[in-house]
Amino acid sequence: MSICQDFGLNFQHRMGANISQLERDIGSEQFPPNEHYFGLVNFGNTCYSNSVLQALYFCRPFREKVLEYKAKNKRTKETLLTCLADLFYSIATQKKKVGSIAPKKFIARLRKEKEEFDNYMQQDAHEFLNFLINHINEIILAERNQSTLKVQKNNSGENVTCNGSVPHNTEPTWVHEIFQGTLTSETRCLNCETVSSKDEHFFDLQVDVGQNTSITHCLKCFSDTETLCNDNKFKCDNCSSYQEAQKRMRVKKLPLILALHLKRFKYMEQFNRHIKVSHRVVFPLELRLFNTSDDAVNPDRLYDLVAVVVHCGSGPNRGHYISIVKSHGFWLLFDDDMVDKIDASAIEDFYGLTSDIQKSSETGYILFYQSRDASC
Amino acid sequence: MAVQSDSGGKDEVKTQFVTREGTYRLMTLSEYSRPNRVGYTSGSGSSHVRVSLVSLPPSPGVGNSDSQNSDDRICFNHGKELYVYVYRGVKKAADLTKPVDKKMYKGTNPTCHDFNTVTMTADSVSLVIGFSTGQIQLIDPIKKELSKLYNEERLIDKSRVTCIKWVPGSSNLFIAAHASGQLYVYNEELGCGSGAPQYQPFKQGEGYVISTCRAKSTRNPLYRWLVGDGSCVNEFAFSPCGANLAVVSQDGFLRVFHYDTMELVGRARSYFGGFLCVCWSPDGKYVVVGGEDDLVTVWALAERRVVARGQGHRSWVSVVAFDPYAVGFEAEAGDSHCYRLGSVSQDTQLCLWDLTEDVLRARGRAPLPAAPAPPLAAPNGTVPRAEPQRRKHKEDAGSLTQRLAGFSFGDRRDARRSDGRAGGAGAAGGAAGGGGDALRLMGTAACPRFDECPVLEPLVCKKIAHERLTALLFRAEYLVTACADGCVNTWARPRRDRPERD
Repeated sequence: MSICQDFGLNFQHRMGANISQLERDIGSEQFPPNEHYFGLVNFGNTCYSNSVLQALYFCRPFREKVLEYKAKNKRTKETLLTCLADLFYSIATQKKKVGSIAPKKFIARLRKEKEEFDNYMQQDAHEFLNFLINHINEIILAERNQSTLKVQKNNSGENVTCNGSVPHNTEPTWVHEIFQGTLTSETRCLNCETVSSKDEHFFDLQVDVGQNTSITHCLKCFSDTETLCNDNKFKCDNCSSYQEAQKRMRVKKLPLILALHLKRFKYMEQFNRHIKVSHRVVFPLELRLFNTSDDAVNPDRLYDLVAVVVHCGSGPNRGHYISIVKSHGFWLLFDDDMVDKIDASAIEDFYGLTSDIQKSSETGYILFYQSRDASC
Repeated sequence: MAVQSDSGGKDEVKTQFVTREGTYRLMTLSEYSRPNRVGYTSGSGSSHVRVSLVSLPPSPGVGNSDSQNSDDRICFNHGKELYVYVYRGVKKAADLTKPVDKKMYKGTNPTCHDFNTVTMTADSVSLVIGFSTGQIQLIDPIKKELSKLYNEERLIDKSRVTCIKWVPGSSNLFIAAHASGQLYVYNEELGCGSGAPQYQPFKQGEGYVISTCRAKSTRNPLYRWLVGDGSCVNEFAFSPCGANLAVVSQDGFLRVFHYDTMELVGRARSYFGGFLCVCWSPDGKYVVVGGEDDLVTVWALAERRVVARGQGHRSWVSVVAFDPYAVGFEAEAGDSHCYRLGSVSQDTQLCLWDLTEDVLRARGRAPLPAAPAPPLAAPNGTVPRAEPQRRKHKEDAGSLTQRLAGFSFGDRRDARRSDGRAGGAGAAGGAAGGGGDALRLMGTAACPRFDECPVLEPLVCKKIAHERLTALLFRAEYLVTACADGCVNTWARPRRDRPERD
């Protein structure tokens, strides 16, 4: 259970069958038109990638933008984004409704792009997600800069050579539009009472987990007031000195897709390694945020849970990743090349454990909430 | 260094807690569980343990004060098992060696149960039990000769029975709610027919359809209520007078019906997620619900609007209850009128709440003033000075301040809110829009924005178990709680030196 499947050599067996169990479970009448449920073959501990890719595929606004990118960019130089777009396109244009696909090109490219992923070891799914989102965003920005560069060249007929004069495009990319939110950190100097605030962007929120809590509570703790004192004093501009201060981070702009990373791997000094925190953290199918700032643009935004990356096992470098996703009103479980329909009530199996004795567990690790007003 | 609370493990499990009326104490000898319980068991496979309590009429000739033979019976389920014991309250230790009745089921789990208080006698009582696979059983745990099954072949409903209750004042009618989103009215004297029931519409309204069973001779179920879009009905409760029925569902709705006319009286929507539990105030004026938004939400029947939200739990609220015996507290507190609420949650905590007249009266003025913030205590114990602006809000909100939760960084929210949104949408009032659309109900009486509605802080909030709490009952002399590991606890109320009455 907790060991990754080796090379997925058995990926043909499902495609061979005339009608799969999954199709039977969904029912041919109910099977959503133009939807494909394809497992992803494991290339040796690549379930961290498979689980995240499936979750992202079922974040509809993201899928649509990736497919749009594919349609617009006919033959460009191979990047991780073109590989992702090819993979999504390949899933979306399959003749069969269910089956499995080998994301060979994507994994090969990933291993070229980042040294840390260039091996057969289990990786952290969140690190991968973080890398992927940022990397894709950089690709889009780079391509955009290149094209504006070309346009400029054509218009002015001069060469733009100097680094400083490269037009920096600050317009948000579609990755920003989908995943980016804004946190505002407010600091109150305890000497002069001045409140200063600073904004920063995020692609996901990383929250600590407590035993027998809800994700709502974990998010509230994320925004708890922190006192800056001792070695960690705050440099107050008003007082022109280091002062004790109180600081709190709240959400100012709520993203279209809210990705929540549950910090389940905790470094334990006495063991000199990361230990999995299997605490039971419940996550509702519907969510609003309590930790929004006073000047938040859309504090009432209502989210629906659309995908969960689940970690199975006892530690970050061992175990297995799977994902559960919502599609057309029902829930599916993607375990590498295998896809099964599950009942929504089965989601509670992934909340975690109330007992601390057992270290191995199947627990929600990354939650994807999509705004209900998403017009995509 | 982030200050993040990994609160779970460190918190000790409390065996007593103090409110202004005194100290509540866990009666360690009054712990009910399965007879041969082997210590603390892990949470896996645990169930929604529910508790039913009944006080039987005293047997003729036997004095009621004789504590040797209590008239109280307690029923609780755990996993595949169901137990009925003589309940000795706080007076005597529990005797787990001799259950009145115990049942072990195969292939199904009991999920809920209810004693019939109309037909009970000193030596007989009807207990109706719902199961995870949809069936319903009627037994007499004392006489043991009664045993009837309903929905035995699962032709009426295959889904889990989520809540089962006798219709108030009825000797033979009970209602079972299912995970399929349906409630069925049964007459225990009737059979369930040989085939699947055929239904014909009887009454429908916004978001519900009531059908009757079409058959040559009257059969069960008498009525089928489909509430909402088929998402699980989590609990229902009759008002103390028996006239109104409140139903809470996974779709995040509280729906209140007039039971006899089958009219929808009003509804409320959760802030987000499903509503899990519901209870009426002893006077029938308020309904309290709890759910997956970690909140306790109070809804007023007369105004058909959410009047307060309680924030204090760290996870989903599994049971809410009014304390009907708390009327005595108000004199001591000097409040004009005060309701006492209790709630237990998956966070293993018990919360008690005071719902004061101040709060209930304040929200009449719409739009509501923003909740003022209690000042944040500085680490050295001093309280940061309030800005003049905040002081003004305090005056606006009057006596609301005392129990309101909020933030400490000034209050810019009301400025943002005063742009007419609050007044406009909120004024739609009781006729809170059509459709089940959560987005459209936001900002209406059915679901005010978070800062449009008073937010209560708990009077006490204590971790009282190792496992998720699943039951809470208020009795005159004690509270009863139960948690997912099948352990039922009794808490003695504060001893009070009552003045002797003439």
